Amino acid sequence: MTPPTSLRLPLPRGKAGALLVLAAFAILPPLLGRLGVLTDFRAVMLGFGACYAAMALSLNVLMGYAGQISLGHAALIGAGAYASGILTGRAGLPMLAGVVVAALVGAAAAFLVGLPALRLRGLYLAITTIGFAVAMEQAVFRLPWVSGGSAGVSLPRPAAGAFVFTRNPDYLALVLVFVLGFWLLDGNITRSKLGRAFQGLRENEQVAQAYGVDVSRYKLLAFVISGALAGVSGALYGHLLLFVESRNFSFLFSLTLVTFVVVGGLGSRVGVVVAAALFGIVPRMLTVFEGWDLVIGSALLVFTMARHPTGFAGALREAREKKAAEHARAVQGGGPAAEGAVPAFTHAAGARLAAADAGSAGREVVLAVRDVRVRFGGLVAVDGAGLEVPKGRIVGLIGPNGAGKTTLFNAISGFVAAESGSVSLRGRELAGLPPHERALLGLGRTFQTAGLARGLSLLDNVMLAQHRLLGYATAPALLRTGGVARAERDLEARSREVVAALGMTAHADLPLKHLSGGQQRIAELACALVTDPEVLLLDEPSAGMAPAAVEQLAERLRELRDDLGRTVLLIEHHIPLVMDVCDEVVVLNLGQVLAAGGPDEVVRDQAVLDAYLGAGFAAKTKAAEVAP
Amino acid sequence: MLSALVSGLVVGGIYGLLALGIVLVYKGARVLNFAEAELGTFALYLAWWGVDQRGWPWLVAALFALVAVGLVSLAFERLVIARMVDASRLSVAVATLGLMLLLLAIEFKVWGSGPKFLAAPFGGNAVSLAGVFVTPVQVFAVLAAAAIGLGLTTFLRRTDFGLGVLAAAQDATAIRLMGVPFAKVSAFTWVAAGVLGGVAALLIEPSIGAFAPGFTLPLFVPALAAALIGGLENLSGAFLGGIAVGLIDQLVRWQFVSSTVPGVQALVIFGLILVVLLLRPGGLLPAPRGRHA
Repeated sequence: MTPPTSLRLPLPRGKAGALLVLAAFAILPPLLGRLGVLTDFRAVMLGFGACYAAMALSLNVLMGYAGQISLGHAALIGAGAYASGILTGRAGLPMLAGVVVAALVGAAAAFLVGLPALRLRGLYLAITTIGFAVAMEQAVFRLPWVSGGSAGVSLPRPAAGAFVFTRNPDYLALVLVFVLGFWLLDGNITRSKLGRAFQGLRENEQVAQAYGVDVSRYKLLAFVISGALAGVSGALYGHLLLFVESRNFSFLFSLTLVTFVVVGGLGSRVGVVVAAALFGIVPRMLTVFEGWDLVIGSALLVFTMARHPTGFAGALREAREKKAAEHARAVQGGGPAAEGAVPAFTHAAGARLAAADAGSAGREVVLAVRDVRVRFGGLVAVDGAGLEVPKGRIVGLIGPNGAGKTTLFNAISGFVAAESGSVSLRGRELAGLPPHERALLGLGRTFQTAGLARGLSLLDNVMLAQHRLLGYATAPALLRTGGVARAERDLEARSREVVAALGMTAHADLPLKHLSGGQQRIAELACALVTDPEVLLLDEPSAGMAPAAVEQLAERLRELRDDLGRTVLLIEHHIPLVMDVCDEVVVLNLGQVLAAGGPDEVVRDQAVLDAYLGAGFAAKTKAAEVAP
Repeated sequence: MLSALVSGLVVGGIYGLLALGIVLVYKGARVLNFAEAELGTFALYLAWWGVDQRGWPWLVAALFALVAVGLVSLAFERLVIARMVDASRLSVAVATLGLMLLLLAIEFKVWGSGPKFLAAPFGGNAVSLAGVFVTPVQVFAVLAAAAIGLGLTTFLRRTDFGLGVLAAAQDATAIRLMGVPFAKVSAFTWVAAGVLGGVAALLIEPSIGAFAPGFTLPLFVPALAAALIGGLENLSGAFLGGIAVGLIDQLVRWQFVSSTVPGVQALVIFGLILVVLLLRPGGLLPAPRGRHA
């Protein structure tokens, strides 16, 4: 079978390839320039394309990967251009200093833009970036000490050895080298935990948090990295133009940049680079059309969006994935992961705990919940509920719809704030900790609906789930040091084993939406298990499973407990499953614990019957039982 | 100060109309219509063509322009928006950006980049009102904007179709069950957005006197801030937000007219956006009954 290949330019791979491209970028333009083939005009035209490509790569980190919409990116680019202009044009420092400071200024500005992102999402966040961009363009870039009293700032180009950057072909070489650097950096991001964490928060922030991703940190990190790249691309652009004024970085330019990345295909570095380069180059070639080029170009933009809303790369990717999904279905038609089968989790469970630990040492409470109260406005969803989960046991949490089961789960895992009460994991108090820290301490969970990053592949989900096992820092990840590469290779190999153990190898590289609902449930369980949590909170794992699969699920849950010594708190509506696997059952009603104890005694509890079936019905059943 | 208040009311009415257009489209399509302001400039060119090239009376040319821009908007909705129901909202936003760029490109291509002058609907000397000179055109702009804003919100609140439009953002299925086809609602929001943009441009032009491609583009961000103050989904809130932003804008300009810090009004609007979004994301108006959680 052929694994789906990703969209790539036909370039040599690896370090050798990068060096080859570096040499070509550095040598060809100056050489062609000196031979008279690459005219000044053409070099500038290509320079625009290259600068736009750098800007698009910078925006792609933020919008394509992290999913944070920025409609004010030109302001960050402008900040870099002005910073470099002030340092080189006015203070006479070398261009290298200008570029470095541009990166710092861009990163700092982006950090500020990113702060509201900790509270705002989607459109609201986008609107703050618009406001920021307009304020920068109309106020900051026109401040006398920024613009130097005149209407703008000049950015000179230096000479370095054989390169005379005042010549446009030589300067083009410099910009191209930077674009290559951005390109490699982009690849390093996507192939590390950074890229997975970014995509995780794009797809589903809660899931990312449940896997231990510090969402606030990674959001700001995406802004900062994107801002630094924007600053550098701004400096490069400024030195290309030689002179900048505030209207070079208008709101309209910000929107144009968004167009590059959306038309190219969000999250595709090839797509955005090609789109940006075309936008930079083609209009300058078509000036002979005297305005018709703009009319046709914008009409084409509208048409492209209407036909291919995910952009060029998106359209190609979808076509490819569709084919691969059909292929995967054909391969696995009768395989172990066929609809309705639940594979063993033993391989998915990573390091195995000694099964002997379980159940031997009496009742050791792993998770203790006391007097938890959660209120939504006037509604008290959880009202002083408490429960204990002993080590190596499966505790069921049942109750009628609206009893507060999922809310209690969310309070335990930190997704909603409890008004009062305590949650302790192995004696450590969790109250007040954010969800990702609770995950790091060993609290694993699944979600009632969509508990995975659906746009990511199965393999990426399994790898994202192991986020907390990767200890490397950000800087080595960006540079992809040997250690990072090794850690990532090990992780991928391990994750492929997990996928293979689930019997879903053919689906490994496909987005999860191509899996059936039942298969997604299984994948989610595997992701929750893969990091060996102390306690696993499962929110209705049987939902969406075929009846036959539910029986298998029961068996797997028993294996988890008996063979792997796992501790589980289980929300279930499927009462036979609860009766079958749970050691203890807690019944929740109207936010309060109605009954707790062994499964048999709980289901005979009159209060439980009343809550589930209504008092009258329960009485009638009793009468019917007595009658004959 | 008083004259700043008067021009604040004029500009505020314009922002209010554009904000209404932004809110209507947002309700129907859950998307920011970046073309909202530029639709206005396009209408202005059509009106100019009618008055200057054909010799039509202002009112005839203006009506022609509004009908035409409404049709442009409708065509865009039918050909693009209606086909992008399942697309990511960001892609739809980029499509509206494409419409804006298309309008700009046509303006440049057909009418060139030089300024055009559209004669005011009527002349008349400025009259003194409580010590401030006010031109009849300014009075007309304020009254017309208020009448249209009020008329539109009343129409939407009092008719079944209007209630369907208002409910569209909440639940597209629900309005279908109410017997209001979503396609009609969506088409209505776009036609209204185009016409509102056109009216806004026609009303502001006499205060400035000349226009060129992209004439109304700078109005987009203040209008967006106005829509946001109203909570993005509230029509009367958006219109009042427009008045508020207009007054703030003109007062700040008047206050900082000789300041060495340029663009203070842009800083103030950015601050306003941040404050509203971080502190009162539902808008500054008190929440309507039944929305308290």
